[in-house]
Amino acid sequence: MANPLLDDRLVQLLLEDVLDAEALTALPHFEDHGKETFGLYLDACRRLGREVLFPTLRPMDLEPPVFEKGRVRLHPSFREAFGHVRELGAISATRPAEVGGQQLPLTVATLAHAYLMAGNLGVVGLAWLTTGAAHLVEAFGSDDVKARFLGKMYEGQWTGTMALTEPQAGSSLADITSSATPREDGTYRIRGAKIFISGADHDVAENVVNLVLARIDGAPAGTKGISLFAVPRLREEDGALVSNDVQVTGVIHKIGWKALPSLALGFGDRNDCHGWLVGAPHQGLRMMFQMMNEARIGVGVNAAATASAGYHEARLYALERTQGRALEARGAGEPVPLVAHPDVRRMLLRQKAIVDGSLALAATTAHHADLAEHGPEDARAHHQLLLDLLTPVTKTFPAEFGFEANALAVQVLGGYGYTSEYLPELFLRDQKLNTIHEGTTGIQSLDLLGRKAMARGGAALQALGAEIQQAIAAADAAGLDDALRAPLSKAMVRLGKTSMALGQKGLAGDTLGMLGHSVDYLTMTSLVVVAWQHLRLATAAAMRPSRGDFEEGLLRSARYWMATELPRVEHLAQLCETNEPSYLEMEPDWF
Amino acid sequence: MKILVPVKRVADPDNANKVKVSDDGSRVTSDGLEWKMNPFDEWSLEAALRLTEDAGAKKRVGEVVLVSIGPKDEVQTIRQGLAMGDERGILVEAEDDDLDSHVVAQVLEAIAKKEEPDVVFLGKQSADGDSNVAGTKLADFLDWPLVNYAMHIATDDEGKTFTVKRELDVGQQTLKVTAPCVFTASDRILQPQAIKNGVTADDFAYPESDGGRYASLKGIMQAKKKPVEETTLEGLGVTPTRVNAYGSFTLPAARTGSTVFLETVEELVEKLQTEAKVL
Ligand SMILES: Cc1cc2nc3c(=O)[nH]c(=O)nc-3n(C[C@H](O)[C@H](O)[C@H](O)COP(=O)(O)OP(=O)(O)OC[C@H]3O[C@@H](n4cnc5c(N)ncnc54)[C@H](O)[C@@H]3O)c2cc1C
Repeated sequence: MANPLLDDRLVQLLLEDVLDAEALTALPHFEDHGKETFGLYLDACRRLGREVLFPTLRPMDLEPPVFEKGRVRLHPSFREAFGHVRELGAISATRPAEVGGQQLPLTVATLAHAYLMAGNLGVVGLAWLTTGAAHLVEAFGSDDVKARFLGKMYEGQWTGTMALTEPQAGSSLADITSSATPREDGTYRIRGAKIFISGADHDVAENVVNLVLARIDGAPAGTKGISLFAVPRLREEDGALVSNDVQVTGVIHKIGWKALPSLALGFGDRNDCHGWLVGAPHQGLRMMFQMMNEARIGVGVNAAATASAGYHEARLYALERTQGRALEARGAGEPVPLVAHPDVRRMLLRQKAIVDGSLALAATTAHHADLAEHGPEDARAHHQLLLDLLTPVTKTFPAEFGFEANALAVQVLGGYGYTSEYLPELFLRDQKLNTIHEGTTGIQSLDLLGRKAMARGGAALQALGAEIQQAIAAADAAGLDDALRAPLSKAMVRLGKTSMALGQKGLAGDTLGMLGHSVDYLTMTSLVVVAWQHLRLATAAAMRPSRGDFEEGLLRSARYWMATELPRVEHLAQLCETNEPSYLEMEPDWF
Repeated sequence: MKILVPVKRVADPDNANKVKVSDDGSRVTSDGLEWKMNPFDEWSLEAALRLTEDAGAKKRVGEVVLVSIGPKDEVQTIRQGLAMGDERGILVEAEDDDLDSHVVAQVLEAIAKKEEPDVVFLGKQSADGDSNVAGTKLADFLDWPLVNYAMHIATDDEGKTFTVKRELDVGQQTLKVTAPCVFTASDRILQPQAIKNGVTADDFAYPESDGGRYASLKGIMQAKKKPVEETTLEGLGVTPTRVNAYGSFTLPAARTGSTVFLETVEELVEKLQTEAKVL
């Protein structure tokens, strides 16, 4: 049987039973949509993911882009595959009609695009970067800048990049040194070097527009002096496209995401690199951060999709391959399928719980994003609060736990999993990037604990607590037993308590005491938030008129999560609260 | 050029194991099934789209009307086709259990007389019933020329006449037909250059594909606004005369067996003769 990439039943349950996506169509922004348009778009993405993208995954992994004579050439099948994604309309799907989009709720797009990402994230990555870059232009660009770039980007005729990272400035964008010199015609001359810029050169579309962070000459130091520029690879001059002095100086040799090139770039070697300022001067980082939620949800979905594809690979293998006899048969009888062995079922259920939890979380966060932007006026602030809180969790949990899930998929296949004849090793390599780009796990944890959890006196955590109480009440009404509900209620209380304790340390000026275990805090929050997702999935399953395989599976994975993962909350809480000192005390020379 | 394309939904062949038979064996039950467009209809639908567009300019130059006969849900099958680019749809509401190929052909006859298309382009069969008769019956009822299993279609007079190659076990046959006519398609109709409509450049090649084109989100949004007319057998003046009576249904026995590797061809031949009894 072919890998379905995602379980269609889960996607349907999330959209219909858990989130009621159709209700969004009562909002003016989504009124042209309906169950039918959602269904048809999901179908189109499903087919494209399975039939077109997935078959190109291994070939593109084996033949990465080639750097020759200063230009980058992608795998021969990239162009056609990307063409399908472009024609599908994925790049502008969620954008407003004024800019050529179709105003699809992010809730639906998130799950629909998960099929594409699971199919071939390199190809989809190019589209996704383009959406992100174009969205910045749309939100902050002047009319002139929009006229120059926006339409072509949303149509996929030109693709986009995010050009932030420099060799000395990765996690700390405050330290970037690329420069911009104003010219009389209103443009700037850009100079500098960037590294790891994904999609910055290729042969599958006419042009590339880099969204570059740089300092205008004389700008203040640090984060307050950084501006954003649109810097195309080719610029229009007298109706023709000419070189804009952006050089590819090298390709990065990556261990995953091989289809999509990540490049080292030089801007302005000939002092002829024109940049167009996007938004106000010195506001670059602020604008970038405003757009961060969507990009980070995108990483989470991608991580969930990669974990899902690996899980299904392992599941299908375990159902088919026979090995050994059942424990209870004491060595007698015919060989049994792998799935008959308890430990294989453990590995599969763990993957399933991670995958289902991750997809539910990504869809939930996207749902809050839809409501924060287009929901009833008086509810927007509430959804924004939850969106901000859930974003670092949605970025990190699927990436960190998804990597574990992908490793388990390798393990389920045994020796075959360790070979490149099978796909799990590829998913494992692809997955690793998700804990690194768009802000590493360490950076996400500081964002969560230092900013989001503490914002407005912990209002976001209170909102989360209220959501969880509601979910518990719904689970109770659906007749789910206490073993599924009580641990979550307790864990949420514990999370609140730890947050208060850490917040007080912060207020007292003990920053290290507050943030020393920030990743443990992020993990703890993730376990609670994902338990909430499992409870909602289990509730929806229990409310179905009849329980089939799928519903039984959801009820078991919820139970698994409550029994196996939630008990860890107490331990993590103690590590955070006591600021357990072992690594904090380590001197560099002691390593 | 105006083409009428009948489409129906079938239980998703990828999930065929979910098809169940009612306890008394009188009918196939459809609860909980996932549906998709009959793949054979997708071929004819795609061919009809290619016949009525300027592929280079991505412009529609003709009209494709979809017809579906069945329960109200069938409208989703129609919308799927409309999202691919077809102009409008007609839903003839009926119970699946009341239909057979004969009744379907009766309904299509009535619609063809009303709509007066140049071509009615059917799937050669449906993936559930596998009867392979509706197209032939329809041509008979209408007394229009019929080309079954078309694999290459060319017209240079906007569909007044066609040169059609059909695929046969013994080779290919080329026919010239005058509209109005009835076609069914073989899978080779999807080959990159199998359709020449006199508008799309002769050297244009469609991408390799084994199904219909992918709907775009824009197409999906437009489809919502395209007209779908709803009618009934009565409304069309059709008095159904079913010729097939369904006796009983049973599920095929579960597949058994395993893979055996043989050393020599002689062994294989022997097994095929004595065990499989196919030689
Ligand atoms: C395949 C790939 C594609 C990429 N694509 C792009 C792209 O398109 N555009 C772009 O601009 N960038 C891109 N990047 C760059 C990526 O965003 C950076 O690699 C990332 O931000 C980390 O920066 P760094 O590599 O310099 O690591 P560093 O910042 O040096 O971090 C190294 C380690 O130190 C930790 N660390 C650093 N600072 C802190 C701190 N303050 N507190 C706690 N821990 C800390 C990090 O968590 C990490 O574990 C890409 C990277 C890769 C690998």
